[in-house]
Amino acid sequence: MADRLGAPAAEPGDASTARGPGRVLVAVYGTFALAAGARAAVQLATQFDEAPVAYLLSAFSAVVYLVATVGLARGGRGGRRTAVVACLVELVGVLVVGTLSLADRAAFPDATVWSVYGQGYGFIPLALPVLGLLWLRHLGEVEREEADQKSPPPPKSPKSPPPKSPPASAPGSPPAPSS
Amino acid sequence: MSTPLVALASAVALVLAALGGLSTALRRRTGLAHLVAAGALQAVLLVQLVLVVVAMAGGQRPPETATFLAYLVSVVLVPVAGVLWARSEPTRWAGTVLAVAGLVVAVMVWRLLQLWEATGG
Repeated sequence: MADRLGAPAAEPGDASTARGPGRVLVAVYGTFALAAGARAAVQLATQFDEAPVAYLLSAFSAVVYLVATVGLARGGRGGRRTAVVACLVELVGVLVVGTLSLADRAAFPDATVWSVYGQGYGFIPLALPVLGLLWLRHLGEVEREEADQKSPPPPKSPKSPPPKSPPASAPGSPPAPSS
Repeated sequence: MSTPLVALASAVALVLAALGGLSTALRRRTGLAHLVAAGALQAVLLVQLVLVVVAMAGGQRPPETATFLAYLVSVVLVPVAGVLWARSEPTRWAGTVLAVAGLVVAVMVWRLLQLWEATGG
């Protein structure tokens, strides 16, 4: 029984955005990039005149999801920074569009991914950027810890001060979520 | 498209999602059970695809044909993509990737049925 469920798993060893739980995030983000993109493409191509604002918003959200997907999948410092920006834009977008769609229904005659805080998509659009930002923050902490543990000697300045104590051991800071 | 077939597809998809979640909970990678469930799901989806193509060849057209076709084709690809990605993931999160694929399929088949049944309206 147990073997049919698969061999024991390896522990995620590095602070990669595309491994472990990060891969789940990339999968969900990729799904949303595809879904929002396909939806926006159909809407813009066939019925742009009906609700241009809503359809352009769909297209914009698709781009944001795509950027976040690429940032998370590529990883590294640059990829993570890209993903953080995309997640923030996404969070602001879902909050603003969600509020506007409730306050002024006439301005949004047709639903977008972010209407009513993503109600049409099980509120996943609201949860996704929060999860993404938490995961990215966790990765940043992991990487800083690793850098502190290795404490590589600076190559060209041997007389630099010793590395600082790891920030994660500071009292009062919450423990990093186990992955 | 028939409701029983959609119900069957979503039931198998939910089994796949549950198996994926289970292996993550047990700190395991994906195994034979996941392959069998994903294969069964794929078989049901392919049967559905053939039935829909036959019906459309017979002249039935859902009103939002483009959206419908996009869903029809992409839903068949989701289990394949999920399995391939899960197999290449060495951590226990492979199962969760597969679970996401299962949930996506479970939602998509019902949306497909909705689009299809708008034919009469």
